[in-house]
Amino acid sequence: MKGEGHEQFIAQALTGDALVGLSAENRPVPRLAASWKVVPGGLDFTLRSDARFTDGSPVTAADVIWTLQAIEADPQASPTKRAALGDLKASGEGLRVRLRGSRPVARLLLELWRVPIAKAGHGDMGSGPFALQRSGTDWTFTARPGHFLHPQVPGLHFRLLPDEAGRLLALRKGWLTIGVPPPQPGLTPPSGMTEIVQPTLAQLIVWAGPGSTPGTLRSLAKWRAEAFPPALMGRAYAPAKGLWPMALGFREMEPAPGPEPCPAALELAYTAGDGVLERQLQALAVRAARDGVTLKLRPLEAGLFLDQLTKGRLALGVITNVFDPDPWSVLGYMEPGGDLNFTGWIDAGTPPLLAELGDPKSPAWKELQALWARHPAALPLLDLHSVVWVDRRLEIKPCALGIYLATPGAAGWRWRE
Amino acid sequence: MRLLPGLALWAVALAMAWLLPGHLWHPAQPPPFPMHALLPAVLALLAMTALPPLLVFLIGPSLARKRTLSALEAPPDLVWALLLLALWPAMAGPPGWTAWIAVLLAASVPGETRWLASALPVEMPFPRAWGPAATRASRFQSLRRLVPRWLAARLPLWLTASLVAERVLGLPGLGSDWMARVGGRDHAGLAAWILGFSLLWLAARPLERAAA
Repeated sequence: MKGEGHEQFIAQALTGDALVGLSAENRPVPRLAASWKVVPGGLDFTLRSDARFTDGSPVTAADVIWTLQAIEADPQASPTKRAALGDLKASGEGLRVRLRGSRPVARLLLELWRVPIAKAGHGDMGSGPFALQRSGTDWTFTARPGHFLHPQVPGLHFRLLPDEAGRLLALRKGWLTIGVPPPQPGLTPPSGMTEIVQPTLAQLIVWAGPGSTPGTLRSLAKWRAEAFPPALMGRAYAPAKGLWPMALGFREMEPAPGPEPCPAALELAYTAGDGVLERQLQALAVRAARDGVTLKLRPLEAGLFLDQLTKGRLALGVITNVFDPDPWSVLGYMEPGGDLNFTGWIDAGTPPLLAELGDPKSPAWKELQALWARHPAALPLLDLHSVVWVDRRLEIKPCALGIYLATPGAAGWRWRE
Repeated sequence: MRLLPGLALWAVALAMAWLLPGHLWHPAQPPPFPMHALLPAVLALLAMTALPPLLVFLIGPSLARKRTLSALEAPPDLVWALLLLALWPAMAGPPGWTAWIAVLLAASVPGETRWLASALPVEMPFPRAWGPAATRASRFQSLRRLVPRWLAARLPLWLTASLVAERVLGLPGLGSDWMARVGGRDHAGLAAWILGFSLLWLAARPLERAAA
């Protein structure tokens, strides 16, 4: 219920089942729900009859209703789940579940994967393809043989290795089946491993605070194309284009031109302690200096950084965000109280457009993007890719959500004969 | 009365931990306390605390001039870790914490032993002339005064070493729990750490007085 963050979502995708999953191609696919029907005002689901919680009890509509109500009632519950559910109300009995709310159905189907269903009254019991045993920082997930996704691998064992050099050593020694290599250019996987590069929806984004001028983001858009030398980046990063993640289907659009010049001195705050990010921002500062602009870099501790950013005390702040694989995820930039609307961005033209976004192909998206381009509050600097080294004998399907979060995810992996 | 300035400092630290500014983008649950790290940490600490004083008590200040001790002390600390990594069979999986504690002891005990042995008063001609019982009593009294100060000086260094082991090798440890609680803005957890340290400080006061 309360778990938030990438690791939590991985653990929940392994030990729990949402009504709907997302395929490797980001399409909604059946998971706990065997089928669904679009009806006026929402969706009607039919649950699978063979889904079982870890205690052996069947998954029913009562569990779905309890999970959704518990998330709504608990202000401490995961903000991502609360945002994904919105004003959704659940009802039903037996294996029939009715969901009603004001969200467009297409959006709802793409966001429900975030909310695994727990057993009524037991927030930590799921029905997923793996069962979790925790021992300190070591997490072991054991396959549940009767699960409807038919997991092919016997289990997964996670080890936390925060240091990049330590991780590389463990990968080269053959102590890991899957691992994330350090983001250095020129690294090649050891002979027994292969590299998987997954274009994800994560971006390094610079936010312009209330005090900055429109010329600032225009200059940053110019610099980002040439600031980052390939030797600095490795395969995990690529310079971003446009205003919103183009992998979500948005066209390339730069901030609209205007007469305001870029100030001669800028201050860019970022989260301290990340050496890779530091080097990338230094490269940006070098590029800015060629245009006569002094870009001063200001490291801040993560919690303090966010505090200053959300209170509008930073002229420019850099942070990494992972978007959901649906176009509605960019609305966080412009909806009042949106999770990405740090600077209180507002425009009188947005409310009528927001009402017309029921379809991902609606022409209102283009108008909304043009409106945002006139005075954007944020600009992506880099697109982040997920680079993992995987044992050659293991068959894994890459996808934009990463190797764990899609359906069937880890349940679909198998050892080659 | 003598405790008041120290207690006031701890109270300020407690208030700072409780009022730590800043917040998170996505609020997260505070990390669970690494209970699994307690046993290895306590075992390593006990071994580090017991071995050097015991060796010095048994052999005496002459240990500081022993060539065998110099030979063990000479290699840089990292050599032991490199040796373990180089010689450990990769097929056996990563070395566990018992192997790493052995490396930590191999790297640290000779140096710590020399430090303690050099600090002992000379025993020739007295108390050696008064017999073995007097010599042992003299060593015991000297070590009683030395060991608390030695521990106070070395503990921060060992904690740092454990932090490196935790982050680089993924071994269980207590060091990064601090960072996780600061990063996660777990005010209650941080305050509990400060409270724990202040209680340790209070418990160590009688030792300090005995040494004075």
